[in-house]
Amino acid sequence: MNINKYPQIRPGKKLFKRVYVAIMLWTVGKAIQVAAKVDKEVKEELARLPNNFTLRMMVAPEKAFPLFFYAKTLPAFVVDKGLLFYGIQMLLHKDKEGKIKYLGADPKGKKVDLNIVFKNIEAAWLVLSFQESTATAYMHDRFVVEGDLVHSLTFVRVLDIVEVFLLPKIIAKLAVKRYPKWSEMSPLRKFVKRVVIYIRAYTF
Amino acid sequence: MLLPGFYDFCCRVRIVSGQNALEKIPAMLKKMKAHTPLIVTDKGVVGAGLVDVVRAAVAGELKLSNVYDNVPVDSDYKIVDEAAKIYRQKNCDSIIAIGGGSVIDTAKGANIVASLGGDTLLDYEGFSAVKRKLNPLVVIPTTAGTGSEMTLVAVIADPDRKIKMLFVSYFVLPDLAVLDPRMTKTLPDFLTASTAMDAMTHACEAYYCLEKNPLSDSFALRAIRIVSENLLKVIKNPADMEGRLALANASTMAGASFSNSMVGLVHNLGHTIGAICHVPHGTAMSILLPYGLEYNMHRCGEVIGEILLPLAGSEVYAKTKKEERPGKVVEFIRKMNNYLHEATGGRHPRYLKEIVDKNGAQVVTESLLPAIAEATMQDGARMANPEEFLPPDAMLVLEHAWEGKPLDLGKVNKGGKKIKY
Ligand SMILES: [Fe+2]
Repeated sequence: MNINKYPQIRPGKKLFKRVYVAIMLWTVGKAIQVAAKVDKEVKEELARLPNNFTLRMMVAPEKAFPLFFYAKTLPAFVVDKGLLFYGIQMLLHKDKEGKIKYLGADPKGKKVDLNIVFKNIEAAWLVLSFQESTATAYMHDRFVVEGDLVHSLTFVRVLDIVEVFLLPKIIAKLAVKRYPKWSEMSPLRKFVKRVVIYIRAYTF
Repeated sequence: MLLPGFYDFCCRVRIVSGQNALEKIPAMLKKMKAHTPLIVTDKGVVGAGLVDVVRAAVAGELKLSNVYDNVPVDSDYKIVDEAAKIYRQKNCDSIIAIGGGSVIDTAKGANIVASLGGDTLLDYEGFSAVKRKLNPLVVIPTTAGTGSEMTLVAVIADPDRKIKMLFVSYFVLPDLAVLDPRMTKTLPDFLTASTAMDAMTHACEAYYCLEKNPLSDSFALRAIRIVSENLLKVIKNPADMEGRLALANASTMAGASFSNSMVGLVHNLGHTIGAICHVPHGTAMSILLPYGLEYNMHRCGEVIGEILLPLAGSEVYAKTKKEERPGKVVEFIRKMNNYLHEATGGRHPRYLKEIVDKNGAQVVTESLLPAIAEATMQDGARMANPEEFLPPDAMLVLEHAWEGKPLDLGKVNKGGKKIKY
């Protein structure tokens, strides 16, 4: 019996979570790309990663986006272009000069050095809707890290800073271990970076 | 805490413990269908006559003629490959590791190469490369502290790339750990002290760090009690074989605990100081443990306070008010360190600035502290620490630990709620 012939049909609620998680991954990817340019601390953190380095954050399984099941009903080019072939993910690349770039969601032909995999959509939902902090999620095995653990520490730290920039305090407090005090991050810096990151992430 | 939302606990090492535990090895090896073990050890262990002790204990039933004793203090993959090569040359079918942390890690690495084939450990680098059962591995610890016999990780250095490689897999776990007090009898007092404090640190950190769970808790609490009741006794009377066996048990239990829970900033700083200044692991642990407790107190004081019961006994625990218990725990550990410092003639340092090398030169100079603080970001133990631990935080802890002052709790960055495990 080929289990793949019997795809699971997931109800609409899951679809909402998938769309949400996909948007969040896109936002986080873009935000990190911008933050790496405009924020000194993020820049310094990312300097710890080697150059020519690709990082991927994804939801397992890699090749089972449920729309794949509906692919027959979609225009042919969507399937041909591989747009639906891969699961929800985002790729970040640090190039030879050390510049950070968001690479989108298509891993085809890219060598992934660090792979951060949420075990399932529920796990990704818990973390990306900030019901569980990154650290708690790590403790609860919500995601696995494939690659050098040291690099994943850098990524988690960057994620924490970017979350503080993007989210209002009341939500960010749930996402990070310790919300930075004034002495650690001034409200002015937070506010300016928040505006800059949102504008640049959503415009280009 | 009732139960954490999720936890994961696995401990599949068979343990034999007793005054004559070594004598059981031949029968147990036979059960694992192994007949020609390779001894992996270091020159110090051989010099102390410990391999001969094992040999005498198994005489008549098992011949221990294949010995690899080249393991240095900081083992690397070349040593592992060499050991695996000898394993094959001598047609061995199992490994008996006799030694401390470095020897045990080397033996774990050699077992990977010897069991899975290939010439070098580098072939098995990366995630989940070890996917099947390895050949039998027996561990006889000669220090009571590292707990490596219970951990599923082998840490092996690559000197060319200047990195530490981690090989993490349940298959890396040894099959059998043999705890026999004859193996730690000759350990100098200051090493007995620092290794036991390493075990104490494993148990304490496992108890208050983020991955704590009911199973790791029970191992941790018992280990704390055993170390607290026996360490000073053994230092006073090195021939106390019951006390030594107890410490060996505590070390193994603490190992099982932290292997399934996690360790936090004490190990984060300890690993980093070890890498930069070559401070022995146990020494760094005993110095930093009080600071780890203090630093995290505002996030999980209640849990830290619970440590007082196994540490100081029921009478002290009952007499101490609930809110004073965490502080009392720290005070008790500091007192232990002070006692050990005196009992070993000053060879058990209490502060970072007290650590000296063979020639009496200071090992951790004040100018190195910023570099250490910065490097703590590269160690995995920072994840499980209850409070966020960034370089400025590390600097705060390091300055106090260097000087030997209690941590100024007012200076600790706060901003998070009480931890819910
Ligand atoms: Fe340790």
